[in-house]
Amino acid sequence: MATATEQERGAATHPDIRSYGEVNEDVLLMLNRPGKWWWVLLGMSIAGIGLLAFSWGNQIINGIGLSGLNTPVGWGAYITTFVFWVGIAHSGTLISAILFLFRARWRQSIYRAAEAMTVFAVMTAGLYPLIHLGRVWHAYWLFPYPNQRLLWPNFSSPLVWDVFAVTTYFTVSSLFFVMGLIPDIAAARDQAPKGTLRQKLYKLTSFGWRGTDRQWHHFGKAYLYLAALATPLVLSVHSVVSWDFAMSIVPGWHATIFAPYFVAGAIFSGVAMVITILVPIRKVFGLEKYLTTKHFDAMAKLCLVTGIIVFYAYLTEFFMAWYSGEDPERRVFWNRAFGHYWWATWIMLTCNGILPILLWFKRVRYSIPALFVISLFINIGMWFERFVIIVTSLSHEFIPFAWNVYRPSLTEMGIVIGTFGWFFFWMLLFIRLLPPVAIAEIKEVLPPPMRPKKKEVAQ
Amino acid sequence: MSDGIKRRDFLKVLGVTGAGAGLVGCSTDHVEKLIPYVVPPEDITPGVATWYSSVCGECSAGCGVWVKTREGRAIKVEGNPNHPVSGGALCSRGHASLQGLYNPDRVTGPMRRTSNGFESIGWDEAEGMLLQGIQGAGSSTALISGKEGPTLSALMDEVVDLVGGTRIEYEALSEAPLREAARLAFGRDVIPTFRLDDAEFILSFGADFLETWLSPVEYTRGFARASGVDEAHDKARFVFLSPRLSLTGQNADEWVPLEPGSEAVVALAMANVLVRDGASAGPYGDLLQAYTPESAAQEAGIPAETIEELAQAFGASASLAVGPGVAGQGANATATNLAVLILNAVAGNVGSTLQIGVEDRGAASASYRGLSEAISGMAGGQIQAAIVHGTNPAYSLPPAAGFREALGQLDFSVAITSQIDETAALCDLVLPARHSLETWGDANPRPGLWSVRQPAMAPVPHFDSRPAGDLLLALARGLGGEPDGETFHDYLRNRWSERHADAGSPGGTFDQFWREALRSGVVNLDEAVVEAPSLQAPDRALSFDRPQLEGEGLTLVVYPSTRLGDGRGANKPWLQELPDPVTKLAWHSWIEIHPETAQEMGLRRGDIVRVSSPHGEVEVPVYPYPGIRADTVAISMGAGHENYGRYADGKGVNPMRLLPANVEEPSGALTHLNVRVEVEATGRRRRMATIEGSDQQYDRPIAPAVQIDQLRAGALEHEAGYPLQELQGGGGFIPVPVPGDGAPEDYPLEGARYGDYDPAENPRWAMAIDLDKCTGCSACVTACQVENNVASVGEDQVMMGRDLHWIRMDRYYEQIDASAPGPVDVRFVPMLCQHCGNAPCEPVCPVYAAYHTPDGLNGQVYNRCVGTRYCANNCPYKVRVFNWHRFSEVPEPLNWQYNPDVTVRTEGVMEKCSFCVQRIREGENKATLENRELGSDEVIPACQQSCPAEAIVFGNIRDPESRVAQVSNNDRTYRVLDVLINTQPAVNYLRKVTFHPVDSIHV
Repeated sequence: MATATEQERGAATHPDIRSYGEVNEDVLLMLNRPGKWWWVLLGMSIAGIGLLAFSWGNQIINGIGLSGLNTPVGWGAYITTFVFWVGIAHSGTLISAILFLFRARWRQSIYRAAEAMTVFAVMTAGLYPLIHLGRVWHAYWLFPYPNQRLLWPNFSSPLVWDVFAVTTYFTVSSLFFVMGLIPDIAAARDQAPKGTLRQKLYKLTSFGWRGTDRQWHHFGKAYLYLAALATPLVLSVHSVVSWDFAMSIVPGWHATIFAPYFVAGAIFSGVAMVITILVPIRKVFGLEKYLTTKHFDAMAKLCLVTGIIVFYAYLTEFFMAWYSGEDPERRVFWNRAFGHYWWATWIMLTCNGILPILLWFKRVRYSIPALFVISLFINIGMWFERFVIIVTSLSHEFIPFAWNVYRPSLTEMGIVIGTFGWFFFWMLLFIRLLPPVAIAEIKEVLPPPMRPKKKEVAQ
Repeated sequence: MSDGIKRRDFLKVLGVTGAGAGLVGCSTDHVEKLIPYVVPPEDITPGVATWYSSVCGECSAGCGVWVKTREGRAIKVEGNPNHPVSGGALCSRGHASLQGLYNPDRVTGPMRRTSNGFESIGWDEAEGMLLQGIQGAGSSTALISGKEGPTLSALMDEVVDLVGGTRIEYEALSEAPLREAARLAFGRDVIPTFRLDDAEFILSFGADFLETWLSPVEYTRGFARASGVDEAHDKARFVFLSPRLSLTGQNADEWVPLEPGSEAVVALAMANVLVRDGASAGPYGDLLQAYTPESAAQEAGIPAETIEELAQAFGASASLAVGPGVAGQGANATATNLAVLILNAVAGNVGSTLQIGVEDRGAASASYRGLSEAISGMAGGQIQAAIVHGTNPAYSLPPAAGFREALGQLDFSVAITSQIDETAALCDLVLPARHSLETWGDANPRPGLWSVRQPAMAPVPHFDSRPAGDLLLALARGLGGEPDGETFHDYLRNRWSERHADAGSPGGTFDQFWREALRSGVVNLDEAVVEAPSLQAPDRALSFDRPQLEGEGLTLVVYPSTRLGDGRGANKPWLQELPDPVTKLAWHSWIEIHPETAQEMGLRRGDIVRVSSPHGEVEVPVYPYPGIRADTVAISMGAGHENYGRYADGKGVNPMRLLPANVEEPSGALTHLNVRVEVEATGRRRRMATIEGSDQQYDRPIAPAVQIDQLRAGALEHEAGYPLQELQGGGGFIPVPVPGDGAPEDYPLEGARYGDYDPAENPRWAMAIDLDKCTGCSACVTACQVENNVASVGEDQVMMGRDLHWIRMDRYYEQIDASAPGPVDVRFVPMLCQHCGNAPCEPVCPVYAAYHTPDGLNGQVYNRCVGTRYCANNCPYKVRVFNWHRFSEVPEPLNWQYNPDVTVRTEGVMEKCSFCVQRIREGENKATLENRELGSDEVIPACQQSCPAEAIVFGNIRDPESRVAQVSNNDRTYRVLDVLINTQPAVNYLRKVTFHPVDSIHV
């Protein structure tokens, strides 16, 4: 039973939703027979997967040399895109777990899509450590599996930490995602025509959900427990990813600021990606009632805060490089700004530091088109941030004679584009097969169903 | 260690004497399969190397070598330490002779030319054709060869005499002007002996004696001994006078960038100064009057004071002037050589640093004149048949010489060659000859010094080849002659038997003498000691003046390549991939232009320019080089082949196409300094195949130097190093507080456990490299490549920055000024895995492929590597290289070159210098079998073994008596980057010593 304040809050966040039934209808409508454009997009995504399979297969057969990597620059577009996707994966758990614990009710409408995005982004990111390996067929050696040679992975290597961090994160975020879906799948099951494959699948994946009090009780406890479990992961995963760099001695990587800097960057890019994804969904499915400008305003504020942290971190890095007094460190940062890759650095600074200034303005935060454009630029900027960190540092290290530049090859571009196809393939399936907006949780913030007042009926 | 015979030497003796000759000699029965042995050969123990002494055949220096064979297969060539020329070292080209032996483009069998190219024929038919062709031509036969060993040369003379034909010797890099100058000055037609190690002041008038000039390995050793700093003697001062700074010039202390061709007048002016101060110039006194420092200064474009100062310094110490080199060979080449000899004579160097031996009765200098006359004869019909062996005039002569056309007009031409080249491709008949590592032969590098070449292995079975000597013997018999020997082996033995008898039977019976000659690889037949000659008046008039050049624009310098020589190294991937020691470019050609000239012309690095002379044009990318005069450009020889095999064809350009075919009088040499060229942009660019990132070290502790005065004053006393620490744990050591601020000397931490690295039980392998001796010649790079199966990656991959060399010869410019004479300071740093005690690569590897061994090595387990490349990212020295593709897959039989003791790496794994761990383990095994401790200096890695400058020392640094510990215990010792990042590298560098002040001596 919702209290009066909650009613008001529900009315404040979703003023246009009339009834519980309307929620069911509107959301489950999205699972109907898809339109032409969905098929076109799915076709493009599958083409992307094809490109990925071809490029990667070719690379496995003919060697990692098909990339543009070379001796000083051993990591390039692959690790850049790995960190990019891990960063994207951040906001889902942040929104679903941390905001859940903090009782930030505006998360209800967006968290399902954000969680799905998280799971798929981790699935995408997880490809890259495999893609970038010289001998991918031996990738399982990074896991501590039992073997009669008693060989263990090297637990002091950040790459092993990465393996644990990413697999743990994938496990927990998938569990969280699947668990949160159960009541909504049950709703979809109830609505699906009897005897169809769709209904059978929903039946299987709703795990016999009937919506009893006892089930809701367990569900709430488990959800809270998982949220608590997932919360530290939000901070740890990207910290660990940042240590891939910070634990090395490469000038431009070896910095204590990296963990918070990366976590902030991850949330920044993740929230931007949520905006990028939700704006078209809202438009196509007419979800203006559910995804109001207030939700976007909240996300934009989150972007603004993390963006400021990230920009501050950029400036700190430059300052510390100068303050260190060491030539290798200073020259790496001088090269970032004015060297061979100056354009990448300035894309990064513009997209992540300068453009988000616009978010200070309420009019911008309430303008869906403006937010969409800014979020796209943030996504681009955050990809270049990782590119700048990885490539500019490696290309101008300690020994000047060994300096060299790196140019991404066609194979790398094919794989990077292909993984976007891979990601959107899952996203597209998701919005058509699973309720993309959390039906049950939206109902939590709606006013309880009561008989309408008479004068309203008269109207 | 005792001075008695070592086990290794014993095995070598065993290998040579134990019927080695019978097994691997001139047998034509091909051994198709070397393993398994049904009846095991006596001298082959599987897994144990057998060594044969021989002579390197890659240039005419005649370095004595040892060829290492395993299971009957030659796998490495190393310098013969007993040999006075090589002194145990070898250059890159010598190492790469193995790729001539196993070259996949060798001729597989005799071939006859038809209208549709070559067709394979049998040996009987081929020999029949040869005989018929020569019989038909009779006295109008010409035998064109390179400079051959004395016995093969004698056989060639014998064959030619049978038909009354012409014998022509032609080498693209001819020392004829020097020999002619020696004859003019001293009346002896001989190459003088230059004793660089005895000199305290060395002047080079452009002679590239560390690269290609006469005997680079020997001179590098002598130069390093002279200019290296140690307690025993002072550093020799070295001044380089040349329009272009070659690698030799980069090792100079001062550079005098004079006008091309003005070397003679400068040398004479310096002699003039000495005569003015009281020295005697013999019959040249009057001549010298005309060459005052002022007039020479004007001619050469340098200050007169420089000439004065250099002359006085030259006269005041044990000095030596050498040169000019091939690149400076203009129309006054003999005169320039004569001028330099006069300068030496005036300064009193003859008999001390410069020795004029007895007249060389061996082969005449293989100059161009003979061939030039033959070309006229071929064109005019006086010569109707030609046999070509060991030289490639169709490539190495300017097209203006007309050799190709003349060869085409012959009735019959035959090439006896192991590999198709531009000349062989034009011949009617190609007879596959054995490679020098498969044949008998001899060499006579200088009067009194002989070496016998013996085949190191049975002929490579892929090629149906015969020794050139056997072919000539058969031809001689066919022509009705009665040569003294059935095979060339017999012939050689018979000649040597005569020589042995003539010399008064040294060393007992001939059989004893012969065995010893084969075993040691050196024969000293004492020649009568002759007195130092005095200057004679020349028997002809010579012009010393700067030669007139054809054409307009920039003066073109064409110089022999350190890697490809005159072009014969071009089909060897090891040499193509070796970055040029000066420009660091591989695989393709370049034109060196002074950066200011390039800027004026709007040219950037990598812009392709059209270089045109009155004789031809080439298109080549620009390499802006501060070490060349602003009015001069330079292109290296050796590239731009059209028909020399898969690794050579289409790579780079041949600058000989820009030159006229001028004969220098009186020596008869081909001149190289002839033309000025127009350089114009084509508008196209290319990515250069280079390993060079930056040539500046940005004040980082990489290659510091010290001025000699400061060193002597003890300025570095407190810089001396701290003991090398092993800071890596074998896993899970207990953290302990760090006292102080964690500076290197705070380690090892009190109470911390650093794994299994007990100093009492384990050696610590370490290296010392004296950068004052290192000349940057890059012989170590190739030696390492051969020893460790390091793959070649090809031009495209080098362009991407993916070369696999385990040693990268870093080179930094500190001071180069082409506008005026002054100090030159180029720092070379051979950069290899530093085997850090606190290695950044080790903790980051997720699978322990990079790990630390108890004897201090950074191990790399190829089989365990999954290829994350994190170790390479984290290596501050950037010495880890990655197998981006299956680079180790090479065409048969090039894979025979692989060392069976070293894993051949597959795609996707990281690799790097292992400190030749296979040699360490071999030494340990041997020591264990002999029930003793492994000596601290016993293991010699390939780079140290090969270094002609003796700059590298390896050993157990924990033993204070070891050489590496003793050498490292020096004020000049430092470790690269260690003060910055505490990596505890095991490679101790000894900084370069300069005469000029250096910015900062502290690391």
